[in-house]
Amino acid sequence: MTGSSPLPDAAFRVADRLRAPEPWEVYAERSRRFEIHLGGRSIEMVRGPIALEGYGIRVLRAREGKTGSGFQASTDFSDPGIRSTVADAESVSRYSEFPAKRVELPGASGKALHTVEIVDQRLWDDPLRAVEGYVEELLRGFDGRKGVVPSFGSVRATLSETSLANSAGLKVSYLNTTVDFEVAVKAFGGPEGAPPGEYWVNSTSRRLETDRLSTDIDAWCRYAKDVRRAAPPPTGNLPVVLPPGVLAGILPPVLGYRFTGVARLRKMAPVLGDPVAADSVTVQDDGLRPWSPASSPVDAEGNPRAGRPLVTAGAVAGLLYDAMHAAAFEVETTSSASRGMGPEGFTDWRRFTHPPRVSTSTLSVAPGRGGTEAELIEQAGDGIWVQQLGWASPDSISGAFGGEIRIGYRIRHGKLAEPIRGGTVGGFVLAPPGRPSLLRDVAAVGAKVELFDTIVTPPLLVRPLVVAGAAAPPAPTSK
Amino acid sequence: MVDLRDHEGEVAAALGRLGRRVEFADVLAERATGAGLRLDTQSTTPSVEPRLQGTVFRIWNGARWVEAATSAFDAASLAVAVEALEHAAGKASSHAPAPGPSSTTRKEWRTESARPMRDVPVEELLALARDARGWAMAVPSVAEAQVGIRWEDDERLYLNTAGARCFQRLSRTQAGIFVLATESGRAEFDFDGRGGVGGREILEFLTEERAATVARRAKEMLAAGAPPTGEMTVLLDPSVTGLFAHESFGHGTEADQFVRDRSYLQPILGENVGPEFLTIVDDGAFPGGWGSIYCDDEGNPGQKTVLVDRGRFVGALHDRETAAALHAAPTGNTRRADFLSRPFVRMTNTYVEPGDWSLEELVAEAKNGVLLERGTSGIEDPLGGQMQLKVKRGHRIENGKITGLVSSMALSGKVLSFMKAIRGAGRSGPLRIEPGFCGKGQTDLLPVGTGGVHLLSTAVVGPA
Repeated sequence: MTGSSPLPDAAFRVADRLRAPEPWEVYAERSRRFEIHLGGRSIEMVRGPIALEGYGIRVLRAREGKTGSGFQASTDFSDPGIRSTVADAESVSRYSEFPAKRVELPGASGKALHTVEIVDQRLWDDPLRAVEGYVEELLRGFDGRKGVVPSFGSVRATLSETSLANSAGLKVSYLNTTVDFEVAVKAFGGPEGAPPGEYWVNSTSRRLETDRLSTDIDAWCRYAKDVRRAAPPPTGNLPVVLPPGVLAGILPPVLGYRFTGVARLRKMAPVLGDPVAADSVTVQDDGLRPWSPASSPVDAEGNPRAGRPLVTAGAVAGLLYDAMHAAAFEVETTSSASRGMGPEGFTDWRRFTHPPRVSTSTLSVAPGRGGTEAELIEQAGDGIWVQQLGWASPDSISGAFGGEIRIGYRIRHGKLAEPIRGGTVGGFVLAPPGRPSLLRDVAAVGAKVELFDTIVTPPLLVRPLVVAGAAAPPAPTSK
Repeated sequence: MVDLRDHEGEVAAALGRLGRRVEFADVLAERATGAGLRLDTQSTTPSVEPRLQGTVFRIWNGARWVEAATSAFDAASLAVAVEALEHAAGKASSHAPAPGPSSTTRKEWRTESARPMRDVPVEELLALARDARGWAMAVPSVAEAQVGIRWEDDERLYLNTAGARCFQRLSRTQAGIFVLATESGRAEFDFDGRGGVGGREILEFLTEERAATVARRAKEMLAAGAPPTGEMTVLLDPSVTGLFAHESFGHGTEADQFVRDRSYLQPILGENVGPEFLTIVDDGAFPGGWGSIYCDDEGNPGQKTVLVDRGRFVGALHDRETAAALHAAPTGNTRRADFLSRPFVRMTNTYVEPGDWSLEELVAEAKNGVLLERGTSGIEDPLGGQMQLKVKRGHRIENGKITGLVSSMALSGKVLSFMKAIRGAGRSGPLRIEPGFCGKGQTDLLPVGTGGVHLLSTAVVGPA
């Protein structure tokens, strides 16, 4: 989707005036942000336009068999501003050392860009009204509900014109929208005297998803109410079903590091062909997934996005590279450069302020033969369904993850039973051969995938994971 | 541009235009500069902070706050933001007074340091980082050592239509060393770091002894056993206690959550929540603290606020609006992550004050349980009052002695139950504020400090 902004694209404006030795690259964005913040059912604050226009310049300097990379970002589009930004980047490059002899930047291919659905046109055309309409719809969804209210929330919509130019002749631009949504749903009151309960939702998407609001609100209210009557989970090694919303907080941070050239450079990446997961697990990185916040026609260096296999039938099928790491290993880039995506999954909407780094875009776990959610639960037999973790806080180095169960359900005799809350569940996403890991212990892969933030996956039944619950007696204290 | 104040004329004029339309308006202009570097065995990655600068205007339109911001200082860009707010003001009763007291503070502050980081040559930082990496790599089994150094000068100019004018240049410096050890396919790490308001002096902690200690501890982790699971006696080290004070307890004291009826602590303000030796404070004026501020983003000076005084929950953190709603005074805790972000009630440096137990006494009192060390992350649950803290390592406590090393763990349970069960608080030397970043929800990360002493209680321990 090529941009059609009335002003020349920001990167081109900078590139046309740039005086620097090759190779160089300019990544720029012109963004407008509109936000509505809720306090209860009231609008607490309206923000917008938050206007941000800026660019980042990267220079690459070959030196004694290595490459020095320098980057600086600025919001100053004046000639002196561009000159001082380049000077900063050059200065940084003199001290930078990366083990690649020569880094290639993509040139103009002459081909049309991929088409990928990443613009909410209604939002683009009238952003504040669209956000206001969404919030009205959200609040209307709570009308008539007894004992359930939104207690806190925000909708933050960003409209960006992203452009890229480099010394190899590349000039590309595209439009994109991003919506960060957050709401806390509180259940309270009633004769039972239980303390209030809350279900707290965070998500990032490319559009205002009004169509599914009503269904979502039904579920959020149910979870908030169930929090009030939830008991701690049992302690032990149990079959656990993890839905997409939970997997979104576990898999991308770990695979997004371990399956990249960054990890390979540090001898932390798995070797091609190694069995790292159950045979039923196939994962690819999908840079063109419609409506994913990580999708774009080109990556952050201007290479056309594509699908890249990572795990095929449980074995390592590929790693991801940006231009720097591709050069270090003398392989082709996999168009896997991104900006503003942190190692823990946090994203910064000021993407131009970051140099490119290799990462996954949208992890796509292939549907399996585990059937529906009900069939996965039936296969679990006696276990738990984790609906939400506080924060899985995955460690990309060791592969460990673990978090407090904010709301889940006990599975008894193959059926969902009473709600659970508290205690922790965790383990390792990846582990050396012979040791248990989430991916290796996948017992069943659900049949229906769902996009949640930067992962599209079915629910997974993992047998077992370690669950620690408050109701259990203390474990023995000897090793 | 040499100084943010070079643009004060244009910004003040734009604020004056808004002041003619509404009862109250304020503006925050910001400019940040800085640099950093990261060094590991494979690469040297210096960086400079983005040349970001901009302005955010805020008005009270009679019903709510409305904001507009721009990343430019030219008259045309400022006018776009002002016109958006004039339009918003026109829709409502814009001459209603804004809630709470408006600051009238007029003052300037700058971080003083014998050697500001902006004066330290990059060659000197590189040499220090290379030394530290070398000291760590000399320890057998160490596969990787990374050293990071970063500093930032954050200039903020706050003006409002009540006459406040606050300018601050806050200099923060941070450094850390991360060491990875591997053996037989297993990888483990350890780390250490410091951060604070100040300059080159903060980097003095990067010594040969400290780098080697981090490396030895990373190597030790290769032999760490699995942690125990279940409800048990827990002894938190000062870093974990600091995380508890901030994530588990502190977020519930942010009074915007009171106003939203979203804090488990609101109904028990004034009640006992812990033993008499338990005192928790938030201190934005803590000298050199990573989360310290000279003044907040409503023009109120940073200050010390006692949250728990000898076991009694006595205080909350306020901005002007929550202060008005709850008949309190602003506490200097209104913070924006940057000029692009909205203000929220936020913590600064949050910590547990010392008790009078020695570590040996606490371990003996624990008898059997686990010592949790190296807090790495936590998450708040302001309404539910559950806690989740994650630690990198720990030791079993058996028969009143510290024994086997165990790997990462998560701590959970109910915050108030944990506090009621506190049986001892350690005495400490000088309180150390650990650097960290905190979001309000998933976004708006800003620097916060945490600290404390050893704390003995009961909680659920599980995998992490």
